[in-house]
Amino acid sequence: MERLTKNKNFEYLNSLFISIFASLLIGALIMMANGRSPLAGYGALLTGAFGSKYNIATTFAKTVPLVLTGLATAIAFRAGISNVGGEGQLYLGAFAAAYVGITFTNLPGAIGIILAIVAGALVGGAYAFFPAILKVKYDVNEVITTIMLNTVATLFTAYLVNYPFASSQGKMGGTEMIAEQFQFSRLVKLSTLNTSIFYMMIIALVIYYLMEKTSYGYDFKIVGQNNIFGRYAGIKDKNQMVIAMIISGGLCGIAGALEVFGVHYRFLQHISPGYAFDGMLIALIVNNNPIGVVLMSIFFGALKTGSVSMENSIGIPSELVSVIQSIIILFIAGEAGFKNIYKNWKMKKIAKSKVGEENV
Amino acid sequence: MFKDIFNLTLLQHTIRTATPLILAALGGLLTQQAGILNIGMEGMILLGAFFAVVGSYFFGNAFVGVALAAIVGLIIGLIFALFVIDLKSDEFVIGIAINIFAGGLTVFLLRSIFGVKGAFSSPDIIPLPKINFPFMDNIKFLDIIFNNHTIFIYISWILVILTYIYLYKTPHGIWMRGAGEYPNALETAGVSPRKMKYISSIFCGIFCGLAGAHLSLGYLTLFTENMSANRGFIALAAIIFGKANPMGTFLAALLFGFFDALGIRLQVVGVPAQFTQMIPYLATIFALVFVTQRQMNKRKKNKEEAIILDE
Repeated sequence: MERLTKNKNFEYLNSLFISIFASLLIGALIMMANGRSPLAGYGALLTGAFGSKYNIATTFAKTVPLVLTGLATAIAFRAGISNVGGEGQLYLGAFAAAYVGITFTNLPGAIGIILAIVAGALVGGAYAFFPAILKVKYDVNEVITTIMLNTVATLFTAYLVNYPFASSQGKMGGTEMIAEQFQFSRLVKLSTLNTSIFYMMIIALVIYYLMEKTSYGYDFKIVGQNNIFGRYAGIKDKNQMVIAMIISGGLCGIAGALEVFGVHYRFLQHISPGYAFDGMLIALIVNNNPIGVVLMSIFFGALKTGSVSMENSIGIPSELVSVIQSIIILFIAGEAGFKNIYKNWKMKKIAKSKVGEENV
Repeated sequence: MFKDIFNLTLLQHTIRTATPLILAALGGLLTQQAGILNIGMEGMILLGAFFAVVGSYFFGNAFVGVALAAIVGLIIGLIFALFVIDLKSDEFVIGIAINIFAGGLTVFLLRSIFGVKGAFSSPDIIPLPKINFPFMDNIKFLDIIFNNHTIFIYISWILVILTYIYLYKTPHGIWMRGAGEYPNALETAGVSPRKMKYISSIFCGIFCGLAGAHLSLGYLTLFTENMSANRGFIALAAIIFGKANPMGTFLAALLFGFFDALGIRLQVVGVPAQFTQMIPYLATIFALVFVTQRQMNKRKKNKEEAIILDE
């Protein structure tokens, strides 16, 4: 049994690397079509991501929201419910944290920070609770509801920061700055890497423990893989789904809170460039494995950071990276199908050659 | 103030803003009927909008742009179908991948072809011509609301009727619906549900491409990053709200277009547009709850009847 799972892991890693390699190859072809050398392009990307202390710091700064949104998606998927609403949960969580940061300015730093993170988690979790309850009580497709709720949340927060909570400095689309004692300190000069990475690490460890080492996580897994079996085993699958969804939303809310307290020091109308969608891609790529989420987030963070210097030094538009990322997911998603087609083709070939031999 | 908001121009804008929604939704309802949830429409519209500008700019003809947008839509629809139907990938994963792919690729090409960031506009992009019906000129009501639109507005209405006839009055259309509802029965009848799904997906791509072309060549004649601006999701909302019926979906798209136009008008008098913009999304959630609730009741009733019959 153990050998079997080991083989499976090996097979999975194998196809993961092939998918990534193939996508990078397509990226290289696009660079060539663009009249640029792929070697220079990827070289610039690599040095841009890891070439200096500042670059490494920026890479890890980008990793923070990705790990949280990636774990958020993974935990929901494990329990058999799809949370496509991470972006909306992140926006509301970020706003809730900013609200704490601009309202309770008399609180000491530590208490304010904890309050903000809790507020972000609660608001994000509550926002995920609605689609979860609609799913388990009324059988309403949660993919559609969470997609719809994304836009509702971004519109609502956009309204808040343009009207009742608009900054007094004439800056449209943002709140006031949060109080100074709440602002996370930067770890490397000029980069956005800040102490939020430690909070992220603690949260990631807790989620890892929850997913892999507790009976809770085990139940999620069973429910997600086969909820009829789960029901026989006496697991209340509907409860698990709702709980997983609340945790998922909470994690996205925390991701938003950390962006406010660590990076921007205020809520901005466009605070996330799609972190939750990237997190979702990450979770899908690594098959909802929490350690995989962390590693893949570093890879995505490096791609994002490196792409900026690739654009600045070689002139290849940084968006190439999102193209590569989406192609990776296409390959991974189609992997089983590709294999089947290959198998069928091989069988046919063998059958044909056998028929040929008989004829001779 | 009331007159400033609710006037004929509002209706004119409604028709204009609803058109891309109608076009995309018509494509999406075909895949919906064939049993596929296509959330990649957002990306398909965006790619259509970009390649319409490319075609119009380089060939000096808006209709070349439209054709290019339709071809690109067709290709993406084909890729979507290949992954979802033959490679058996999760439709929602592929949809999301297409959206991210489209967002990245359009900005990448915007920079590498036109060398600009954010938006590209040029007098060399030829807009779609506006059609003038002389008989409407003297009737103010008709003239403002229905006259001097691009041809796509009228085409979209005709397509609504054609799609309706196709789905409900032709054998092919009945197969299409069968592919979603009773794929096994369809297979037994000797029609391949796979083929029907492919066709629906390709048409969805083409229709979304046209929707994008109308966005970028219809009234503003430019391309901006992410210019589809959630229209793919609103189109999805219209499909669900209209129960994937062409007429219902058309009305839902018009309604959502109306709220969009209303939002813009309200903004002029100082009312935040965000709330009117939320309406399609919230309406969809309510519609979904309502529809599934009714389905559940129906199923329950059927079961009860079956039990009674058994006795």
